[in-house]
Amino acid sequence: MAELKPEHGTLQAYITGFVLSLIFTLIPYYLVVHHTFSGRALLITILGFGVLQMLVQLLFFLHIGRRPRPTWQIHFLNATVGAILVVVGGSIVITTNLHHNMMPTEQALKLVNDEGIYQVNGEKTGACQGQYPNHQIIIKDGVATPSFISAKQCDTLTYITQDGRPNDIVFTQDAKTASYAGVASYSVRKGQNQTITLSELGTYQFHDSAQPATAGSFTVSN
Amino acid sequence: MSEVVEAELGHLEHHEEEANDRTLFGFWVYLMTDLLMFSVLFACYAVLHGNINGGESGRQLFEMPLALAETLILLTSSFTCGIGMFMARQGKKTQTLFWFAITFILGLAFLTFEVREFAKFIGEGHSLHGSAFLSSFFVLVGTHGLHITSGLLWMGTTMAYTVRRGLTTHIVRKLSLLSLFWHFLDIVWIFIFTIVYLGAVAWPS
Repeated sequence: MAELKPEHGTLQAYITGFVLSLIFTLIPYYLVVHHTFSGRALLITILGFGVLQMLVQLLFFLHIGRRPRPTWQIHFLNATVGAILVVVGGSIVITTNLHHNMMPTEQALKLVNDEGIYQVNGEKTGACQGQYPNHQIIIKDGVATPSFISAKQCDTLTYITQDGRPNDIVFTQDAKTASYAGVASYSVRKGQNQTITLSELGTYQFHDSAQPATAGSFTVSN
Repeated sequence: MSEVVEAELGHLEHHEEEANDRTLFGFWVYLMTDLLMFSVLFACYAVLHGNINGGESGRQLFEMPLALAETLILLTSSFTCGIGMFMARQGKKTQTLFWFAITFILGLAFLTFEVREFAKFIGEGHSLHGSAFLSSFFVLVGTHGLHITSGLLWMGTTMAYTVRRGLTTHIVRKLSLLSLFWHFLDIVWIFIFTIVYLGAVAWPS
């Protein structure tokens, strides 16, 4: 009877597995923290150690593939790993492609203005052409000055902040959240101004999303 | 006479084995579907980790020594859980309880570190709502943390059963599923450590 009794791994196997798993944790940690090398090679190396680590767990702790464990277990696991590779790999490939190839309309509008593309295939895009006056709004100690600007269409508006914290400028129109010139928010940091082309007509209010007191408005007319 | 008894015993053993196989199969199905769910969360994280919405990236946020400590704690708990299971199969009740108690304490330590890390991030204003990166991070790591929590509850109750009823076949089977679950969570964490923590430093977005 004794030799028929299920063998579920020995103490020796557990200790070997534990030591190996420690080694396979410390090596990639050392490589990453001490910047031994970098980039894709490092990423692939640490992923390799992750897989080794998983194999140690499967072989030494879960005793996968060792009798008398049923063989369906390993087939099931293989099928799952296959599904995972399809799901994870597929998601990454698809979204990366989407990210590169698709551009939301508002981003396209901003691009048209930023690049001054005022004509495509003989049709006007609505982008402004040439040089126009520039207006400035300076944010200091959480206060935007001037708080009101009246501008002509195609003028430019520059946000400058002198505060340490970055400002996240969002727009509202008639008390409703709006986007201006196709962009919902502009991030302004010290030394990093934001200039927008006032291509849309109307009166808009703006404020800092985290600091509503930093606010103002502008009107764009013909 | 003795032949009849032997035949009956064989019959019983056969039943026991079948029950074992069925339970193992059912639990394995659960583990594999759980693994698929984790893989989807990993895919989300892989896709979204660069969208930090002007906030801090993982590289600036994560404390690597803490992540290493968490990993070593969980690896050790996986080892002590294995030893506990080994003792259970030998029928050594006290030793089994001792090693599972150590596993429980290590699991609790891991969970404490994780909760403190989350609390620190949220306290610094990097909450779930901060960016797509933070959302996917909290959901992935938080789901693992929830699994650990339920594993601890399960371990506590099974240990209480063991104290009261001893190492019956039924309880040894429960313990073996529990250890399967615990090793499985260890494997998932290894990938969290590799992809989320090490990846953030190795592959800045």
